[in-house]
Amino acid sequence: MKKFLTVALLLVLISVLSACAGAAAPATEGSDAAPAGDEMTFVGTPRRETLILDNLGGTLERPDFFNPYAPGVDMGRGFHEVCLDNLWEINTTTGEQFPSLAAEMPKALNEEYTSFEVKLREGIYWDDGVEFTADDVVYTLQLGLTNDKLPIHGWSIDYLKDVRAVDKYTVVIDTNRSQPRFSKDLGATIWDATRFWPVPKHIWENQDPTTFVAFPPTCIAQYKYSKHDPNGNWTLWELREDWERTAVGMVAGKPGPKYLLWNFVGTEEKRILAMINNDVDILQDITPESMEVLNNRSDTVRAWHAGFPYADFDDPCERGIAFNNSQFPYDQWQVRWALALATDIKNVSLGTFAGMLRVSPLAVPPVAAVQNAYHKPLVERLLAMELPDGYKPFDPTFATAMAEIFNEQGVGGDLPTTEAELIDLFGVGWWKYDVDQAAKLLEEVGFTRNAEGKWLLPDGTPWSIAINAPVDFEVQSGRLAFAVADSWSKFGVDASVNTMTGGSFWNASSTGEYQAGSYWPGCAIGPDIYPNVSFWHQKFIVETGQPAPGNQHRHKSDELARILDELEKVTSDDPRNVELSKDLLMQMALEMHWIPMFGTSKFVPVNETYFTNYPTADNYYEGPWWWWSNFKYIVAQIEPKQ
Amino acid sequence: MAVVRFLAVRLMVYVLVVWIGVTIIFFVPRFVPGNPVEVMMGKLLSQGTTMDPVLVESMRKTLTELFGLEGTLWEQYSSFLSRVILTQDFGPSLSYYPTPVSMLVARALPWSLGLLLTALLTSWLLGNLIGLLAGYYNKKNLSKLIETGAMIVYPIPYYILALLLVILFAYIWPIFPFVFQVSGTPGSWPWLQSVAYNSFLPLVSIVAVSLGWWIISMKAMVIDTKEEDFVQYARSRGVSDHKIMLGYVARTAILPQITVLALSIGGVFGGALITEILFGYPGVGSLIYKAILGSDYNLMLGTISISIVAVATATLVLDLIYPFIDPRIRYK
Repeated sequence: MKKFLTVALLLVLISVLSACAGAAAPATEGSDAAPAGDEMTFVGTPRRETLILDNLGGTLERPDFFNPYAPGVDMGRGFHEVCLDNLWEINTTTGEQFPSLAAEMPKALNEEYTSFEVKLREGIYWDDGVEFTADDVVYTLQLGLTNDKLPIHGWSIDYLKDVRAVDKYTVVIDTNRSQPRFSKDLGATIWDATRFWPVPKHIWENQDPTTFVAFPPTCIAQYKYSKHDPNGNWTLWELREDWERTAVGMVAGKPGPKYLLWNFVGTEEKRILAMINNDVDILQDITPESMEVLNNRSDTVRAWHAGFPYADFDDPCERGIAFNNSQFPYDQWQVRWALALATDIKNVSLGTFAGMLRVSPLAVPPVAAVQNAYHKPLVERLLAMELPDGYKPFDPTFATAMAEIFNEQGVGGDLPTTEAELIDLFGVGWWKYDVDQAAKLLEEVGFTRNAEGKWLLPDGTPWSIAINAPVDFEVQSGRLAFAVADSWSKFGVDASVNTMTGGSFWNASSTGEYQAGSYWPGCAIGPDIYPNVSFWHQKFIVETGQPAPGNQHRHKSDELARILDELEKVTSDDPRNVELSKDLLMQMALEMHWIPMFGTSKFVPVNETYFTNYPTADNYYEGPWWWWSNFKYIVAQIEPKQ
Repeated sequence: MAVVRFLAVRLMVYVLVVWIGVTIIFFVPRFVPGNPVEVMMGKLLSQGTTMDPVLVESMRKTLTELFGLEGTLWEQYSSFLSRVILTQDFGPSLSYYPTPVSMLVARALPWSLGLLLTALLTSWLLGNLIGLLAGYYNKKNLSKLIETGAMIVYPIPYYILALLLVILFAYIWPIFPFVFQVSGTPGSWPWLQSVAYNSFLPLVSIVAVSLGWWIISMKAMVIDTKEEDFVQYARSRGVSDHKIMLGYVARTAILPQITVLALSIGGVFGGALITEILFGYPGVGSLIYKAILGSDYNLMLGTISISIVAVATATLVLDLIYPFIDPRIRYK
């Protein structure tokens, strides 16, 4: 609370002082006004030709390091966004992959899905003028196979059997096991690929890949490295003169601004001031309070939605509360369900991000493509779903109820009016807030209440829950933990929040040494959710205390394992894929595997002073994922203001 | 002979302090839940990237090997000690693998020293001078005004004050840079100018918050000292007011301030975290912070060991030179 008040105080301070500045300075130009043409950036490039992005990674300690296979590399600041490229990239509106460096999607050469032909685009060049060929792909895959010091080595020898160039633009890859989702394994899905980024053989072949600095980077996407701050605050990229000889040039047909500058300004307060001052065009992630300051102080800044609720709700990971399901009392479904029904989800939403959240009862995020494939079609099954005592827990009224709250608060003027549109915005619904049913479930398994109404474990000792939450990163999860703890406390559970730094937070998740945690294990971007849920298989469960390779929540379920085994065998485009996935999600909900709550809301404001045609809710050609590898395709659409 | 014995004992204590400090820094992070491998894996997984369990397990194994985290704690400790003593090598940073810790520290330390030493000496000299005048002439209205001003500024949280400076002098009246952007060839005159220009606001912010303390403390000591018998005696002998202030009062009152200064110089090697983050200033503070967040054992050892050595050295030097600045102290 003290920290929140401090932040609020600072934001008020900024608001007041920036208002003073506004009074003293010339009025901010309206969004239709053209910017001055002769301004230069601090790196010496014309401002109107330089798109300036907030550097999410902060100050870099090693800004001249560009080896994507070294564990300590920073893939951001433009490196994976506009310098590297993937065989297959992701379209974030559909969640489907499309060929980028590859000429087409991979072709399976046998029915077992153990051999694939990958055709490369012809005429793609590295920025040093050398052509990108099958030799580069083969060389890069061989790196993982032959270098046991590379983190990718273990996966490579497990996955790859043989890699060979058939001709200059064709590679054949054999795998050790059936891999019906081959393109997902080697291409981008969420954020980027994680196993394979082609590197130039002619640059790398005489280097030690574990320590090679790769500076300056040799780029294959439409931008090339220009210069960077030795102190790590900024990196400048310049459009290649031969951008037409890149995958983006061929697919999109246009490149994007001449210069891209990733710049770290400092703390959130300074980042906001920089945007008000038109010194940054794209901010990567801010709090709702900061968004309000921007709305009040700038006519040229806008969020994903032009009006309330501003945020983009389509981040591909959802937040909720997870447990170590192998530990008492969370190994009992009644306890997990009781906690879900004791969660006042509307208040939790308001307490977390002022209600600017989309709710999700399923274990995959409610991003548009996923919501259309699963959440909406499953509403009937959710309504019919019964707990063993016949109780129907689903409540489909969340969206309309939130709209009523916002209208009462006087902030709902920008909201849609139809129920269908409200569901698109706030989600299909969640579980009922029913403390009586929650109490009934707990009493079934021996819990009792003392005279003060506090819950006691079956052995009569007080029941307390510590919810792990990240401190100083992932603000939404941190706030969610406090809001949920408040809800559970009102129900009579002694709930508290245990704020942790990244090291402790992730270690607890991996080893299972925690009771509850505000984590975000449910990720997906399109209808093919298997790559994102396969790790829930019970075969990956290890003892609490040991680092888990998957199934960090140690949830054991024969039924889920059976469905996952079936899903593993079907391809992405097989109609059974979605049907089996629906069964999986319903089963996870019934078992209350973990308690999914909200998709992630991202306040990703853009400044329209110098550039236009950013993706927005009303110009939805891509999601606002400035820090993903597919940004190279987004930036191609961003245009200088005339 | 007594001096030699004193020096020998003092040096032994010095070595012991450094060894105990470094040993604590080696073990404490390893007893805290979380390790650099899990941080790195968590960072990848938290982005929603698709990582199947085979990949997770293989990466975990390879990183554990690469980071030298295999073997018992004792094996890791003895390997670390021999490496540091024989080669002064703290190994690679685990968060920024394979970058050597020495490279990261060598890049950050000059910035921290340049800023913080300048700030410390400026505020120390200025604060003590003002404190001396305000204390010696404490009945004057200006003295009361200075003390009131110092007491108002002193308790303001550093972050608020620094942010206020940024808003006032980099945003509303933009005469200083909003972000730290040094240009020019390192070592050249334009580069030095750029460093001075970019460092001015960070410097002022640190001086502003520390100045109050030096003023208040010096003033209090001067008020006490000027009533001491030896000062009264000098005054009764007709020694000039100017000489009493500088030669009697200031020389006595400054002694505790020198002790605090020496210890503060040791602390300079720890950097200034909030300043570095707010102004985007490169330095050791943010390096230590990132090392802690990333459970980067080697980087923690590298950066904090320097602070330990610096503080221990400052204390040692202070002990050795104190007799020269305070004639009442003698080695016995």
